[in-house]
Amino acid sequence: MFNVTTLIHTYQREPILAALREAVRDVPDALVEPTLPGVRNGGDILMHLQFADDDKWSGVQARVEAVLSTPAVSHVDSASYRGHPIGPDKPAGSVYRALFLRVAPDTADDVVAHFEADLAAMPRYVRSITAWQLSRVETATGTSAWTHVFSQRFTDLEGLTGPYLMHPIHWAYVDRWFDPECPDYIVRDRVCHSFCAVDTSVMG
Amino acid sequence: MSGEVYVIDRVVTHPGCARKFVDTYLAEYAPGARQRGMTLCDVLVSPPIWFDDQPNIITITWSLPSPQAWWEMTWQGRPDPALGPWWAGVAPLIEQRTRTVAAAADDVDALCDV
Repeated sequence: MFNVTTLIHTYQREPILAALREAVRDVPDALVEPTLPGVRNGGDILMHLQFADDDKWSGVQARVEAVLSTPAVSHVDSASYRGHPIGPDKPAGSVYRALFLRVAPDTADDVVAHFEADLAAMPRYVRSITAWQLSRVETATGTSAWTHVFSQRFTDLEGLTGPYLMHPIHWAYVDRWFDPECPDYIVRDRVCHSFCAVDTSVMG
Repeated sequence: MSGEVYVIDRVVTHPGCARKFVDTYLAEYAPGARQRGMTLCDVLVSPPIWFDDQPNIITITWSLPSPQAWWEMTWQGRPDPALGPWWAGVAPLIEQRTRTVAAAADDVDALCDV
């Protein structure tokens, strides 16, 4: 599956939201929603698109880029990547979250693999995650040369702000990769932490 | 369950550098850590000899009252542009180090039940 996730900063959220929804009207289960309070570098609109293959994206890309090039859009972070979500065919949950991150380019391959394995372990412990996907990025735009997108579907907003944050798998184990005080620190650029409401079968 | 969280720095110092590392850590690092909400529990030196020709292992343990306090500590520390460079500055004294986060065994089940 080919995925495109885009975080849009805009001074005119409603018109841009409407224009993007029109641009992707033919994409099944397209997610184009305002972000919820609490995002960090997450933009005002989150758009997540899934395609059976990248040819399908190329048919939509020009329309999306026309919207994103309007003056009302002040900044865009975007990543395209392949992979399938892990979880049930029709996952429950009312919140979609995407984390954009960049692993430092001097990081050894085995260290990157260890980091990825640690991230992939989180859903086994955080029971408010109903589906998830960890992918290496193929093309990235925005603040950093994003290397990974880690996305999840959560039971609800509390599932993201409560169990995900407060489980020891996060603060006592995985977070060392993001912590400048830890020798394992490899995610040195600011991340994008964005989330929105979801009522489609996204990540199904 | 107390929910107390421990941050443990385990530092293997280069031969002859243990005392300087401990002094520098306590003078330069500890005040800021306290401001971020951490309480210093122990600074242990193994073996308890200031070796000049062999490494020492320094184990420094801090406590925080809860996971929430741990997040508040780290959210204060990460934007601090001096913190990463501080560790880089003492790197010549250090052979290797780890930072781990722990809790009492009796608290593990409750901490995971979130």
